[in-house]
Amino acid sequence: MELVWAEKYRPEKLAEIINQEHVVERVKAFVKEKNIPHMLFAGPAGTGKTTVALAIAHELYGKDWRANVLETNASDARGIDVIRTQVKNFARTKAIGDVPFRIIILDEADNLTADAQQALRRTMETFTSVSRFILIGNYLNKIIEPIQSRCAVFRFKSLSENDIRKFIARIVKGEKLKISEDGIKAIIYLSEGDLRKVANLLQASAALGKKITEEIVYEVASRAKPTDVKEMLELTLAGNFEDARKKLQDMLLRQGLSGADIITEIHSQIYSLNLPEDAKIQLIEKCGEYEWRISEGGNELIQLEALLAQFFLFSKKKK
Amino acid sequence: MSAMWAQKYAPKSLDEFVNQKEVVKIFLDWIKRWQPGAKPLLFHGPPGTGKTALVYAYAKEKKLEFVEMNASDFRTRAEIEKVFGQSVQQAPLFAKGKIFLIDEIDGLAGKEDVGGVGAIIEIVKKSMYPIVLIANNPYDPKLRTLRQYCQLVLFRKIHTSDIRKRLAEICKNEKIKVEQEVLEQIAKNSDGDLRSAINDLESICCGKKQITLKDLEVLAARAREADIFSVLGILFKSESVRQAKGAIANLDKDPEELFWWIENNITREFTDPEEIANAFDALSKADLFRRRVISRQNWRLMAYMIDLMTAGIALAKKSTYKKFTKYTYPEILRILGSTKTERKDEKEKLLELSKQLHCSTAKIRKHFLPFFRIAKIKF
Repeated sequence: MELVWAEKYRPEKLAEIINQEHVVERVKAFVKEKNIPHMLFAGPAGTGKTTVALAIAHELYGKDWRANVLETNASDARGIDVIRTQVKNFARTKAIGDVPFRIIILDEADNLTADAQQALRRTMETFTSVSRFILIGNYLNKIIEPIQSRCAVFRFKSLSENDIRKFIARIVKGEKLKISEDGIKAIIYLSEGDLRKVANLLQASAALGKKITEEIVYEVASRAKPTDVKEMLELTLAGNFEDARKKLQDMLLRQGLSGADIITEIHSQIYSLNLPEDAKIQLIEKCGEYEWRISEGGNELIQLEALLAQFFLFSKKKK
Repeated sequence: MSAMWAQKYAPKSLDEFVNQKEVVKIFLDWIKRWQPGAKPLLFHGPPGTGKTALVYAYAKEKKLEFVEMNASDFRTRAEIEKVFGQSVQQAPLFAKGKIFLIDEIDGLAGKEDVGGVGAIIEIVKKSMYPIVLIANNPYDPKLRTLRQYCQLVLFRKIHTSDIRKRLAEICKNEKIKVEQEVLEQIAKNSDGDLRSAINDLESICCGKKQITLKDLEVLAARAREADIFSVLGILFKSESVRQAKGAIANLDKDPEELFWWIENNITREFTDPEEIANAFDALSKADLFRRRVISRQNWRLMAYMIDLMTAGIALAKKSTYKKFTKYTYPEILRILGSTKTERKDEKEKLLELSKQLHCSTAKIRKHFLPFFRIAKIKF
């Protein structure tokens, strides 16, 4: 597989990390002592949380870091069993080499169920002598307090325009790209401070044209955005509920999109629909209702179909 | 003790299948042309319509060794191969030939029976003797692959008048005096199931030489397994909570599967957007209770899920649709079944990618794949 730029340009050493100075500085001190506490990295997507965690691993263990690091994420391995088995088994065994502990990087830790977090808390305490945890998440408030209190908590800041420019410049230099100033501005605007998105936007734009311009960047952005949601809503409002349902099933079951992402997109589409304003506010309320039901653990397909049926109501009234 | 009547009066030859001429003909055609590697027959249809009896009668008539097994008794591929593997290739000890009957094929398709269906297919392929399979529900998605290897033969319910005639013959033979009305009632009550009719007759006779309508009172109506299509019909068309809920009383499907049957057929029954929105909202609420049942292991809450998905649906309409609705198999279950391997392969690729890119598969789907498509990066 072709190298993915987001990965290729991920700094390996702490020294190469150009932002989050407040975090990096303290972490460097830990690494120098070859002793790190349990850590909790919180902050927006694409601001370097995983990168810092991996850099710590590189610095501590060198090339063979993978032998001493367990990387897992709570969205593919959620639930208590993973904590009880996989994580626990890794945590209880001794490190190879001269660093006295192993590292467990638990990504998307804010997706762990409350029960799993409770189990994790025990594991963290029991095996402190041989292992350290680095928990990563977007939202601190979804991590239970006993875990927060056992960790050094680092907040990652949103990146400044200057940070993003530096990152773009690195890739442009490394890949020998041509890019216009509008192109850079468009990427900065569209990336919303997420360096992963910056790299992906650049890589896809470079595939489309020799020189990256504002137009190309926007084209990539619009093509990367799922259009199915809009089409699905239009079908429903045109009275074709059956085809709209099929589209929904396709998105969820075949394309593997998440219900949460689809409902967010539905919500943002409501504003621009050709509907009376009072209809829009009613639909927004419904949108919130069914999103809440999904967050309660409801089946994504059923809940979204029910929401879609609410849109279908307005197809009749329009006639 | 003498044999039960149901066995005693089971057909001894194919001539006795007066009322099942179609299936007898299919069976005879098949057996005439049968050679190793031929498609097996897959019998299905309601109970007591002669599926087993047909094969048994044929074996008896032709003096064949009749090997019957029940697939529900086998849990693993190894067990099936052990019992069947050699037997289907060995010559019979005494008889002129053999015929195999594997009953309750759908019983082996459970979770633990990894490879069970595959083992049956292999046995069918290498068998030197004809094999007949029986399934209660051949359209079970789990039997999809097997179905393609088989010729399906449907046994219909036996006509009430045919059942009555058969009962009369038995009474004559047992020298029992009986009112015609009694036989008529038993036949009707059996709902096309000859075996249960014979059992009922035997239990009210029990030694008596004369029976009247009064003797019938001891018989309780047998709880019949209702078929999903008529259940959906009652459910969608009923106008009271009690009736809608009652519709599923004798249905042998788990609530989860029934849920998707209802989901699939809402828009087939209802056309008015308001009704459709109400119905889906009821399902959405039922779904929340289902979730609570699972996460809290609180099975008491199941009752609310059932009420909402039955009565909630029935009462979503303004008035009953006076039309015949053709209900269909849940599309979702079909998609989930047919894309299973596809989805598993993709998930594995994504998990591999997730190691390289240090993020979850969900994030890869959302943040990387759309750009990969544009940059034409294959993964």
